[in-house]
Amino acid sequence: MNVLRWWWGLVLAFSLLALLRVFLPLPFANEIVIFSIYTIGCNFLLGRVGLLSFGQPAYLAVGAYAAAFYFYYVGSNPYLGILIGITAGIVVSFAVGSLFVRLRKDYFALVNLALAVIIFYLMQKVLVGITHGDNGLWFLTSLSSTPVLDLTSPDQFFIFSLLVAFAVWAFYKYLDDSIFGAACLAAKINEDKLRFLGYSNYRIRLLAFVIANTTTSLAGAMYAVYLGFVSPEIGSPSRAADPVVVTILGGVGSLYGPIVGAIAYTGMKDLISKTLGNWELIIGALLVFVMLAGEKGIWGTLEPLLLKALFRRRVPAGTGRDGVTGG
Amino acid sequence: MIGAHLLISGIIFGLSLGSIFFLITIGLSLCFGLMRVISLDQLLYYNLGAYVTYSISLATGNLWLGVLGGMAAGGAAGFAAERLVFLRIYERDITFSMITSFGILIGGIGVIKYFWGLVPRPVPDPINARIDILGTDIPGYRLVIVAIAALVYAGIWLFLNRTIIGKAIRAGIEDIEHVEGLGINVYRLFTVTFIIAGGLSGLAGGLNAPLVMVDPQMGIDLMAFAFMVVIIGGLGSIKGTLVSSFLVGQVVSLGSLIYAPLAQMAPFAIMLLILLIRPTGLFGSPLLKR
Repeated sequence: MNVLRWWWGLVLAFSLLALLRVFLPLPFANEIVIFSIYTIGCNFLLGRVGLLSFGQPAYLAVGAYAAAFYFYYVGSNPYLGILIGITAGIVVSFAVGSLFVRLRKDYFALVNLALAVIIFYLMQKVLVGITHGDNGLWFLTSLSSTPVLDLTSPDQFFIFSLLVAFAVWAFYKYLDDSIFGAACLAAKINEDKLRFLGYSNYRIRLLAFVIANTTTSLAGAMYAVYLGFVSPEIGSPSRAADPVVVTILGGVGSLYGPIVGAIAYTGMKDLISKTLGNWELIIGALLVFVMLAGEKGIWGTLEPLLLKALFRRRVPAGTGRDGVTGG
Repeated sequence: MIGAHLLISGIIFGLSLGSIFFLITIGLSLCFGLMRVISLDQLLYYNLGAYVTYSISLATGNLWLGVLGGMAAGGAAGFAAERLVFLRIYERDITFSMITSFGILIGGIGVIKYFWGLVPRPVPDPINARIDILGTDIPGYRLVIVAIAALVYAGIWLFLNRTIIGKAIRAGIEDIEHVEGLGINVYRLFTVTFIIAGGLSGLAGGLNAPLVMVDPQMGIDLMAFAFMVVIIGGLGSIKGTLVSSFLVGQVVSLGSLIYAPLAQMAPFAIMLLILLIRPTGLFGSPLLKR
């Protein structure tokens, strides 16, 4: 029974997500799934470890470009490309993370943005010989199809990305339940006490940073396979706040927040830009409103209500498994 | 190497760029020092100031009137944002203010797009005279910008050191609770600081308008540079902001003479180096109070 109780939330969430395929056009559904994977890294950093990063596009670009270099210059197997993207994510986030996580919270947010700018210019201007600058690398036709799940067809790519997202969410749920997750939360709320208990703040933060940003790189590599081309625009610093906005919209630190946030964000962007043509105003106003209303976000507000309605079970604020937002 | 003419014009260009950086980031720095908020919306006031300057100078034909209007608009917008939003979040964590002010920034850009549209607007250069320095032709307007920035620094220095409100602000940067204990209404100080910060950002936008095209993304485009300047100088230090904004200005300007693509990246590399040596920037205080 315990096993079932651990899995049912995930299975329910992802069967609902799979249902999107029926109602929404395929590119839209694919975009939502990849975007949620992109966001969960930021959500974990901000909600569980208390580190705000405005530089997520940097790690997205690392994953995307690592995969793109492989496709363009070496091989054509999409699975191998995604693996290479993940490896590049681990290497880069470990290298920069060991320097960054020592910094104070406010400097941390700004330094990540600086990294995003550096990587953007690196790809756009400095390494023009390899990356072809703004024209980007095109390899859509050179991707080879694979026997079981053919990633070159958008239809099967959706199944693949859903499976990957399921694995990512199971992993993060496991992290939340583990001692490491508790230590991360402690690093957010009271780092002095954590040090007193004998844990190293630095190591916990570094590990959390590497995990979160490797997930982001995975999303980048998946974008590369899905779109079939990579240009510097993917890591553009002007989109640096997208994952933060989605995290806040969905609900900081809640497990399913990124999915809800990604659906709301992509949906609103599409709908508003079609009807009003001015989505920044609405997103900005909504962001300020959510922050002033208690930073719980859409899912953070809905979840206790849903649980109450479904099970007549009261979840006190701050004690629910997925509702811990901490100090 | 680089010719002397190129070097001199490069240095002047760097100085004027540094002046613009200084005017924007002084607001960020003051807000952080006093209220412990990171106010990304300064970039919105910069953007707004540039647009108001464009509209007024188009209507009256006088740029300086427009710059004044931009400064006033920046200050007024800062006042409104402080009253409506920041008043409620002073007590919260620093990341909180960062996200909220970013929301204000995007929302404000939406408003700007609504009123002025997406097309970049040119603003004519008011001073066509070119000044001769050591045999090099320098556009006069850039020197005027540097002079105005110097005046602002002097004015801020006098304000902080010679007036009672300024002294209260400086004391608040040191220890806000003692200032409150002395019977000074610190929330009024916060409002004053916000208006000054917004006004200076608006001034920067107005002054920069003739040098670049005025477009809705100009604030966001500058975000990374504004961040970098306050990080290098150390959050909350005015002297540090001055030093680092001119440093960054020179690095961008002279760097582009040596190898163009590197000019955008070199400041960030310098920032990373400085942070590795001094994690709080050149002049930042080691402790985060409150």
